[in-house]
Amino acid sequence: MPLDTSTYDLALLRVDGRRWNELRRLHGQIRTQAAADGSSYLEMGNTKVMCVIAGPNENAGKRGGTASSSGSTVPGGSGAADVVVSIVVGGFSSVDRRRRARGDKRTQELQATIAKALASNLHIHLYPRSTISISLHVLSQDGSLLAALINAATLALVDAGIPMTDYLVACTAGSTSTHSAGDEGADPLVDLNTQEEQELPFLTLGTLGATDKVAVLVCETRVQVSRLEGMMASAADACKGVRKFLDQVVREKGHKMVTEGTIEKGAKMAMDIDV
Amino acid sequence: MPREVEPSLNERAFVTQALQEGQRIDGRAFDQFRSLDLRLGEQHGVADVALGKTRVLAKVSAEVTTPYSDRPFNGIFAITTELSPMASPAFEVNRPTETEVLLSRLIEKTVRRSNALDLESLCLVAGQKCWSVRVDLHVLSHDGNLIDASCLAVVAALRHFKKPDTSIEGDHVTIYTPAEREPVPLSWLHSPFCVTFSFYGENGDIMLADATLLEEQLRVSSCTVSLNKHGEICQVAKLGGTAVEAISLIQCASAAVIKVKEFSALVDERLADDLKRRDKGGLLAELSAENER
Repeated sequence: MPLDTSTYDLALLRVDGRRWNELRRLHGQIRTQAAADGSSYLEMGNTKVMCVIAGPNENAGKRGGTASSSGSTVPGGSGAADVVVSIVVGGFSSVDRRRRARGDKRTQELQATIAKALASNLHIHLYPRSTISISLHVLSQDGSLLAALINAATLALVDAGIPMTDYLVACTAGSTSTHSAGDEGADPLVDLNTQEEQELPFLTLGTLGATDKVAVLVCETRVQVSRLEGMMASAADACKGVRKFLDQVVREKGHKMVTEGTIEKGAKMAMDIDV
Repeated sequence: MPREVEPSLNERAFVTQALQEGQRIDGRAFDQFRSLDLRLGEQHGVADVALGKTRVLAKVSAEVTTPYSDRPFNGIFAITTELSPMASPAFEVNRPTETEVLLSRLIEKTVRRSNALDLESLCLVAGQKCWSVRVDLHVLSHDGNLIDASCLAVVAALRHFKKPDTSIEGDHVTIYTPAEREPVPLSWLHSPFCVTFSFYGENGDIMLADATLLEEQLRVSSCTVSLNKHGEICQVAKLGGTAVEAISLIQCASAAVIKVKEFSALVDERLADDLKRRDKGGLLAELSAENER
């Protein structure tokens, strides 16, 4: 949403026709790869991300807390599983075809962020001396990359059957004010695409389900400190919507699995499924 | 690969229990920083910051080189961080640990991405010659809170640094040695500083500023806020860890605003002292090649 030729003030509609609090088209699938322990595919608008989980697996030797190009490890210590995250950004994912080096610092930072966020959310104390490997592949980037990665990882972990406290969901929020202006009429915007991310200050917020507890907060652009609260509040609200969507994806898949006979009806299920 | 010594169960229980009762091991208040000392070197562009027992050294150097082909009007600005075994046995030379990657990313986001240094002013001949400014950050001693100390050192060093004066005639660039003309300072736009907060307790309700190494190893979550004295946030990073209430993060940002003003005043004061010390007899005004505006 270009600030110079801003038509936002006229109709309060963004470039793609959304209002300030509307999310982009969300599309998610779980169990996309039958061979993996858990897998998912998530689209947030044009940002498309795939996730594959391998684990919990036995530790094949000692691991330290080093950041290697193959993934960032959060060591679980002696009583919990290690969480290893590795992100591969396809060269074809952005507008210019660019081959990213595997050990890129920005990618390593993303890996470390996701690993730490998941390590405190998953019940890793149930799997001591094991490793949970999370592989994320970015197929297309159109803004909200970290948010999409976190959401895809959450879906895949639910598919893998790893117990967690709640869905870890994330969303971006931006502000229409410039970094030095103190205008009161600045609106927060939710779920930004690439064009909006390049021009507006924005942050990525990851919350624990529908609560207001913040697991991840990353803001890399200059913004007035007074804008922070508004942006965080709108992002938290948007996260509730994302959680509802992710929950729906999981339930639909579960319903489908039961109707297709993957699980025997009535076989040790605590919940009643209305088939 | 050697790892850092983890705190013993006794230490862990003692520190956590003390925090629950409102006490810190070294007796500071929860939002109190350790004694901060900034020393500027004899050479321009050297800053030595001591925050309690944490010590970092930043050195700035500049050379003339060709600019990047996709940015012909900008100079080159790079920050490299060196965490050597001198600081901690967990660090190895040339083997970047996660701590180092996160530290260098945070400093880069705070100083480079926020445009604290005007890169266009480093350009000499568009597309052919530009200044390449490089900051080398060395961690000499690691007792917690490397981020805040490093950012302060980098900002102080860059503001202290003076690059050789140049004059341009067409495509021909003349670089004067310090003997011919007094070096000129860099074109600095704003001074960002980092403040790191650590969280403790099951819900992350206990918040500490400036954690020592022991406190850092026992924290469940941390949040680094970078601001300048005008109250503009340059970056916020809460990279995972236990989820904390959103309101705590807003409180962090407000506390950081106050702290950054103190840092800013300290750096201004030290730079002014240093300038006075060098300017014996008011000669600097005579030696400067700049015209009066």
